[in-house]
Formats: sequence, structure tokens, C-alpha cells
Amino acid sequence: MITVTSLCKSRSGASVLSDVSLAGAEGTVTALVGASGSGKTTLLRCLNGLETFDAGTLSIAGHRLASGPHAPGVLERLRCDVGMVFQQFNLFPHLSVLANVMLAPQVVQGLPPDEARARALTLLERVGLATHAGNRPETLSGGQQQRVAIARALAMQPRVMLFDEPTSALDPAMTADVLDVIVDLARAGQTMVVVTHDHGFAKRAASWVVELAAGRVARQGPADEML
Amino acid sequence: MSGARVSALLAGAVFLVASAAPGAELTEVQRRGELIWAADQEGGGPHVFPDPNDPRRLTGFEVEFAELIAGELGVKARFQQGQWDRLPLLLGRAADCVINGIELTPARRRDYRCSRPYFAYALQLIGRRDARPDSLAALGGTGPGGRWRVGVLTGSAAELVMRSRDDLQVEVIGYDGTIDSMEQVASGVLDAAVLDDCIFSFYADRFAGLRAVDRPFSGGLYTVLTAPDTPGLSAAIDEAIGRAIADGRLKALYDRWDLAGRQQMLMLRDAAEIPPARQRTTWELIRETLPLLLTAAGVTVLLSCAAFPVAMLIGLAVAIGRLYGPPALRTVLAGYVEVLRGTPLMLQLYAIFFLLPKVGLALPALAAAIAGLALNYSAYESEIYRAGLKAVPTGQFEAALSLGLSKWQALRHVLVPQAVRIVMPPVTSDFIALFKDTSVCSVITVIELTKRYSVLALSTGRIVELAILTALLYLTMSWPLAVLSRWFERRLERPAGTPH
Repeated sequence: MITVTSLCKSRSGASVLSDVSLAGAEGTVTALVGASGSGKTTLLRCLNGLETFDAGTLSIAGHRLASGPHAPGVLERLRCDVGMVFQQFNLFPHLSVLANVMLAPQVVQGLPPDEARARALTLLERVGLATHAGNRPETLSGGQQQRVAIARALAMQPRVMLFDEPTSALDPAMTADVLDVIVDLARAGQTMVVVTHDHGFAKRAASWVVELAAGRVARQGPADEML
Repeated sequence: MSGARVSALLAGAVFLVASAAPGAELTEVQRRGELIWAADQEGGGPHVFPDPNDPRRLTGFEVEFAELIAGELGVKARFQQGQWDRLPLLLGRAADCVINGIELTPARRRDYRCSRPYFAYALQLIGRRDARPDSLAALGGTGPGGRWRVGVLTGSAAELVMRSRDDLQVEVIGYDGTIDSMEQVASGVLDAAVLDDCIFSFYADRFAGLRAVDRPFSGGLYTVLTAPDTPGLSAAIDEAIGRAIADGRLKALYDRWDLAGRQQMLMLRDAAEIPPARQRTTWELIRETLPLLLTAAGVTVLLSCAAFPVAMLIGLAVAIGRLYGPPALRTVLAGYVEVLRGTPLMLQLYAIFFLLPKVGLALPALAAAIAGLALNYSAYESEIYRAGLKAVPTGQFEAALSLGLSKWQALRHVLVPQAVRIVMPPVTSDFIALFKDTSVCSVITVIELTKRYSVLALSTGRIVELAILTALLYLTMSWPLAVLSRWFERRLERPAGTPH
């Protein structure tokens, strides 16, 4: 499902990722761990085409990306199959919670409004926020906003989900609900790549762990051996 | 406060003091050693215009006439520039008198002091050599596009005469510049123009494709205008004109300018006294002018409401093009913004209305005004939208892209709606600015509220009453607009229920 081969990336002459290779099978959860600045988030953004890379190849959910600029059409097709949840949630403030979740299915997949609404309400129910469907995102707590962001990404029914430190912007009290949602997804067989500092969470949810250091893969292996 | 402003205030104060006692104004002119006469050099020849050999110097038969009168009063003549249809408003403020082809009419005799006539004019119908109308009588029938489109100088006797002729099938269009209507006839926008015969004679060589249609059909007399409370000055000017006629200096002046001096003297000798018009009551004034002011207010609203949405759309498209378009497009759009921001709106309106017909694109005045306002404001709106789009956090764009939206879908559904909310206050402010800028459109013959006020204030002399009435109309229009803008802002602040 995910194959990264000898991926290299530099920024302003400095190497950010160097000869990174990893693989993730369908239904597995891969945790990317490492110190700040080790290249975890950059690697995740490369997986979704938000950043280009200089060398190597990348294949995810059946989409192959080569080094250099990517064609817009390729990226749009890839992103329909690869959802992403950001550290800062990035909910759309001008739309209600429900409209945030309905947007992509309607606009990208052309789903009729009734079907998009039904799908969105089911997902909001799944993350425990159906009663907040009509609210503005800013009225929700950080943890609730992150769960809406997960529902929004899931609304496209992606084959792979990418999480960029999903709880690092949250108070400890709010993280549990978000982590529970991600663990539930893992148990349901959702293929995921999660950037995290939380080794406890990684041990609980991930099947494979990749540790990065200074842009290189320091080591990788099964979660119960690595953590 | 600048030195110029202080000087202007002092000059105003001197004028006020001078007008306090009868005859004091003449003493003040003589003490000052200058007779300040107002005219509009844009009005052109043969009256007052920049000397072609030395454009810093003014020439024209009225320049010589003003020097003649000033000399008779024992002082020097000093020129004061003003817009022709507003020249009388300078009296008592910045000028002692107006000498600029001011026709002697009953209304002017009622509202100002008018000297004895110094020039006799006739109105001439002007058309293209190769086109109808071929006579004045032809204007009584149907023109090529229905009614004949006839240009006149705004506020002139030609406008009064043509608007009062119910027997003619004409749409009368007023212009600020004397030769504007001739330009428009030559370029085919107008069917004909009516102006003083001496003006056409003076410019005939420049407009080889135009001809005088029929003989001059109406006429009148030019007068020197002074403020109502200046009997001493007015009498002195009358005496000066009388001496210049009697000793042949005025005839010699007209002969030098090829203005048929002998004929002029005969007409001035036989000039009949014109009685002043009856003073209106305030109620009569409102009843007579309100319909005209309301119509003009409608034009102001139409211009604003038609131009601003177009400006917003173009501005948004330009902003998106500059931020997300290919490099070549960005350069072109940056040039578009700089040209429109860097040149005056009035110049742009002139270009659209007077220059485009020369390349075969003749827009009606209203359409040209809307286009000019929309294009000019689109440059400002684009900069506001550009700032608004840049103010939306990058994460919003990335989140939209990560959901599979294309760049344009992300703009349409995520970035632009947020940017619009951010820029609503400055955009609302610009709408109010455009509302006021519609008054500039009078330069291309569109008569909106300010222009109508100006013309009515001049023709009636009831400046204060009409100013209050006009201000009330502006308030009546702008208040609902302000309420509407605030409602729109509140509505945009609410989240949308579903994607658009």
C-alpha cells in the first residue's frame, strides 16, 4: 500500500530527507517517530504531494510519484485516496461543522447534497460530534475540532490516512478522545501513517515504527520490538 | 495650513468686507489695483484659450476685452480660472466679475448684476458634411436611431433653447467642454451639435468634416456678470463698455478677431432691455427642482450599483490571477493595476468616451461611465482582495488540497469566501467612495446628482436651499446603503450551512 524508496529532499541546500526507504502494508499502522526536526512531517507531506522531493520514488494507494514537480491531476487523484489530518486541525471557519465534512464529497466526488449530508452525519456520529453538526468550528474545543478534522478526511473514504502529530496541539485532557478515534480506525483495518511523539500511543495503535534522525531512517521494525 | 489656503481665506475675507457697504467693492478693486475676472480657459476660442505659440499665456477676444474694461477702471486685469458652468459661484469669493460668453437671460438678471451687453451671438446647428440633418426643420422628424442626438454646452443658452423646443425630436446631451460636442459629432456619436456661431467659425478648420447646417436660428447677448450686491462695480463696468463702444475700441477689438465688428456694434446699439425673471418661493423652488434632482439621484444610484459589482468581480479575478496565475499573466495584471491606479478617473472616462469612438467603439455615456468607474475601482478592489487572500492562513489552502480539491476549487470554496469576509470593511468603504466619485462622470455628459445640483444652483441662484435638498437626497440614499452593507457583513460572518 505504501512504498518509499531512497527518497531525498533538500531545502535551501540543506538535506532534510536522505535516502529514506520504508514500506507499509494494507491495514497496517506505521508510526513515524523521532526528535523535532528529524524530517517526520516533511516525509508525511511528501506522501500527500504537499511537498516535492529531489530523488527517489514513492508509491501510495496505487499512485506513484516521482521526484520533481507533480502534475495537478495526479495529485488530485492521489489525495482522493489519501486523507490527511493536520496538527492545527485547519477546519474551514466559514463553514459549519457539517459543511466542513460535506465539502469534499460534494465538490470533488460530486455526491448529491442528501447523500453527502448522510455520510457526514454518520462520520460525525462515529467521532461523537453529531450533536455539534450545526456549530461553527471555533465554538468547539481543540479535541473536538481535531475529531471533526478526522471525520472530514474520512468523508472521502480514503484508502490511507496520514496524521501529522494529531494531538500535539491539544491539552492532555483532550488527547484521549482523539487517540481513541485513531485506535478505533486502526482496529477497523484503516491503513494509516501517524507522525507522533507519543510512544505510548504509538505502541497502542501502530504495528510498525520508523524512527527518523537527521532526515535518515535510524531504525525501523515492529512496534512491540521498537518501543 | 498651507500658505495658499491662508491667502485664499484672506482673499475671501477681503471680498466679504468689500461687499459690506454699497460701492465699497469698486473702491476695493481700485485699492487692490486689479480687476479679478473669472473664465474657463478650457472653454476655448475665440473667447479665452491658451496661446498656441506660448501656452503659458492666455489669449482670446475676452482676454483683450477684460484688459480694456480693467484699463477703463484704472486697474490691471487678473485672470481667475473656473469651470464654466460654475463661474458665477466665484463671485464675491474669488472673482469680481465673470467675462466668458455668459448669455444675458431673465434668470441671470434676477440673480446677479448683468452689465450692458458687449457681444451678440447666434446659435448654429452643426452636422457632418455627409449626413443628416440637412436643415433645422429636419430635427422635427425622426432621426437615424429614433430621436436626434444633439450635443450642447452644459448650462449654455444653446442647452436652454434646445431643451425648450418641444417641436423637435431631439435628445439633448450636455458637455462640459465647448468643442466636446463637435468632437462627438465628428466621431459619429452625436448627430448634431448646437453652439455659438463664433465658436464654430473659430474651430471650423480643425473639423473639416463638419458643416454649419442652415443659418443661425436664435441669438442673444453676452454680459459681464457681477455679484448682486455690487452696484458700484456694475455701473462702472457699464460706463466702461459704453466708452469702448462710443470711441470704436470695442469694434476694433472684434475686427482684430474677425468677429464682424460693424455688425456687432449694430446689434449692441439695438439691444433691447431684458426684464428680470420672477423670484420663486422656496416651495415653488422645491416643486420645480425636486423631480430633476430625483432623476439625477436615480442616475447616481444606477452608476454605483451597476459599476461596483463589476469592479468587485474584475478585482477578484485580477487578484487571483496575480497570486495564482502564470508569471506572464501576473506581470500583465500588475501593469493593469498600476495604470488604472496611477491615472485619474476623469482621464480614464475621457479616454473611454472620447477616444474609443475614434477606433470604432462608441459607448453611450451611461455605459461609458459604468465601464470607467468599474475599471478604475477594479484596480483598488484587486489590491484589497489580494491582501485578503494573503491573510488566509496557508494551512487552509493545504487542507483544501489534501481533501482532493483542485487549486481553483480550493479558491472557490475555501480561500475566496474567507478572503471576502476579511475584506468586507474596506470594500464597503470603497463602495461609499465610488458613490461619491460618480460625480466625476459629469465630464462625459452624465448628469448625476451633484451635477444637477450645480446646474440648478447656478440657474436659480438658490445655492443654500438646493444644497440642503441635495444633501438630504444623498443621506436618504446613503443611509440604506450603509444599513445594507452592515447586514451583508453580519450575514457573511455566519457560517454557511452547506457548500455553495
